[in-house]
Amino acid sequence: MSIWIAILAILRESWLTLRAEKLFKVVLGLNVLVIVAYMSIGFDDTGVSLFFGLTHVESEFVQSGSPLSRTLYLGIYSAFIINLWLAWAASILALISTSSIFPSFLREGAVELVMSRPTRRVTIFFVKYVGGLLFVMIQVGIFTLGAFLAAGWRIDVWDPAIFLAIPLVTLFYSYLFCVDVLVGVITRSTLTALLATLLFWFGTFGIHTADDLLSANLRRMEESVSRAENRLEELASERDVATAEGETSEAADAAHWMTGPQEEIEALNNALGQLRPWQTTIEAIRFVIPETKRTLALLHRSLERNMEVSLTDLMTGAAFQDEDEPPRQPDDDEIVQRKIIERDNEIPAWRIIGKSLIFEAAVLGLALWIFQRRDY
Amino acid sequence: MPTAIEICNVHKTFRKKVRALRGVSMRVDHGQIFCLLGPNGAGKSTLVKILMTVIHASRISGTMLGRPIGHKATLRRVGYLPEHHRFPIFMTAEQALHFYGALSGMRRRARRRRIDAMLDLVGMTGWRKHRVGTFSKGMQQRIGIAQALLHDPELLLLDEPTDGVDPIGRREIRDLLVQLRDEGRTILINSHILSELETICDQLAVVVKGRVSLEGTVDELTSGRRRWVVAYEGAGPEWIEEETRKDGRLTQVMLPGADAAEVQPIIDRIRQAGCTITAVSEVRESLEDLFMRALVLAGEDEGSTPGAAKGEDA
Repeated sequence: MSIWIAILAILRESWLTLRAEKLFKVVLGLNVLVIVAYMSIGFDDTGVSLFFGLTHVESEFVQSGSPLSRTLYLGIYSAFIINLWLAWAASILALISTSSIFPSFLREGAVELVMSRPTRRVTIFFVKYVGGLLFVMIQVGIFTLGAFLAAGWRIDVWDPAIFLAIPLVTLFYSYLFCVDVLVGVITRSTLTALLATLLFWFGTFGIHTADDLLSANLRRMEESVSRAENRLEELASERDVATAEGETSEAADAAHWMTGPQEEIEALNNALGQLRPWQTTIEAIRFVIPETKRTLALLHRSLERNMEVSLTDLMTGAAFQDEDEPPRQPDDDEIVQRKIIERDNEIPAWRIIGKSLIFEAAVLGLALWIFQRRDY
Repeated sequence: MPTAIEICNVHKTFRKKVRALRGVSMRVDHGQIFCLLGPNGAGKSTLVKILMTVIHASRISGTMLGRPIGHKATLRRVGYLPEHHRFPIFMTAEQALHFYGALSGMRRRARRRRIDAMLDLVGMTGWRKHRVGTFSKGMQQRIGIAQALLHDPELLLLDEPTDGVDPIGRREIRDLLVQLRDEGRTILINSHILSELETICDQLAVVVKGRVSLEGTVDELTSGRRRWVVAYEGAGPEWIEEETRKDGRLTQVMLPGADAAEVQPIIDRIRQAGCTITAVSEVRESLEDLFMRALVLAGEDEGSTPGAAKGEDA
């Protein structure tokens, strides 16, 4: 029983610490502002209204009750509000706020007052850690409640999947916070912990982006090789038929046209040979680092199940195409983007989260080991 | 007498270089005020932190309140005031006490009751809703003592308890410590201010460069060095001429002796020599004298520098 009294006391202290931080209130205020802005987007029979009707954009596709309006509204939530605001801006502010949790706890004079209690160090460590995550949980909790109500009000979608943002954004944040804790425990410096975490985060983002782009381009190139090989086979077949029928000029033409695909295959294979070692290296690094991007993408994946039109189709314009029009040809960027999504969707959620949690457990294990053994 | 703390052969080496403690052994009896003395860097605070599990000993054997050192549950019966303690500045005095009380496993109702009593005890009742960050050093020290006493501990470990406290506050703290001792609690004090401990200290140990140089009860340590000062008027006998100090007409002689009976024959002889005895008073060795003697015993009286020993034993 007394252990629970101590755990609740540490959590309460974390809450008081957060509440005392001005930044906590600032972030909360900004979150409310963003969600009010989100709520201000509405749909009517002629298009989209913004800022509670102050601005109106006419559209024949995105109107009240249309599938596109639902995709657009939920898409804004998952692709922009979660991915940009919560995952970047709000997370940086959260890191600034929570980076001091362990270093200030470990300051001389403060740490003795807690470590000299009957509560075991391992309990103190984990409760402090969870206390740090409270910041994000509370912020995202309020935020998603607002988003849930907004979606219900504006597009009549009462989708509980919106609340998935709470565990997913908290998970995403925990991948970074564990690094912050490790550096904080080692150095006892807020600034060093913050800078190291930001560096890790940007590094992780860089690796993920490089891997996504490289993999998508490699896939595209492999498909090009495959297409060129098919074309080559067709030309070879035409040449063989022409040769068999004695049509030497046609056989010569076919043989002439074969040089194009042959050169293309050679060039692509050369490029693939150069890029594959890079991809192997980047993949190996990605294997050990947490899946920050893909964890957040799980929310989008979950929300998209209830969308009649995919967000990618909406953003590329494919959703606005008439059925009687000839099929549009996607540009290179779109192909790459679709391949990244396609590849990510193939990975099961348990693998994305499990792999990241193994990283987090390893980092936290190291931090705990140092925390346990250290003299204060 | 039962022991509150008994430790044997405590060693602590920091980063394989600095030997803070080099085989400290000592015993603190129940219901006593035990003073841990020593120069800066002698290892006193390290020893207290080891007892409170804040620092891991390199080697240790012993017990605290009958349980092995490091037994976490025992700490529920121990109050601790660290040196240079810092409370979360955003908390009020009441919130801070609730926090530390809860960490010691106290239930809310018990905490409420004890917080009222403790704030009253340290004279901070009027400040309970004020933030700790706005308190002076002395006020923070009072809150520190309150948190150490909050869970009604049997044993108190106080590291520089009067640090930053004004003279009135110091006197109050001294009286409080005596009161707590009289209630049957054991108190271990780590302090530099020897004059403050003089009147309340029952047992002491002097730690010098990570070793106990002198240990025992104040009576034991000072009995062999008790002196008697005999003041008299008139020209004294010749045989004590060289040992006297003259101050006008009044002459004093310092006589060694554990008890009063030992000096009576000498007083008689002074009287027989025609002198008038004006005063006889007992002079005990002060804590400062004891402290200096411990330094001499440890070979650290001259040219010594503060700090722990480095490397191997000399």
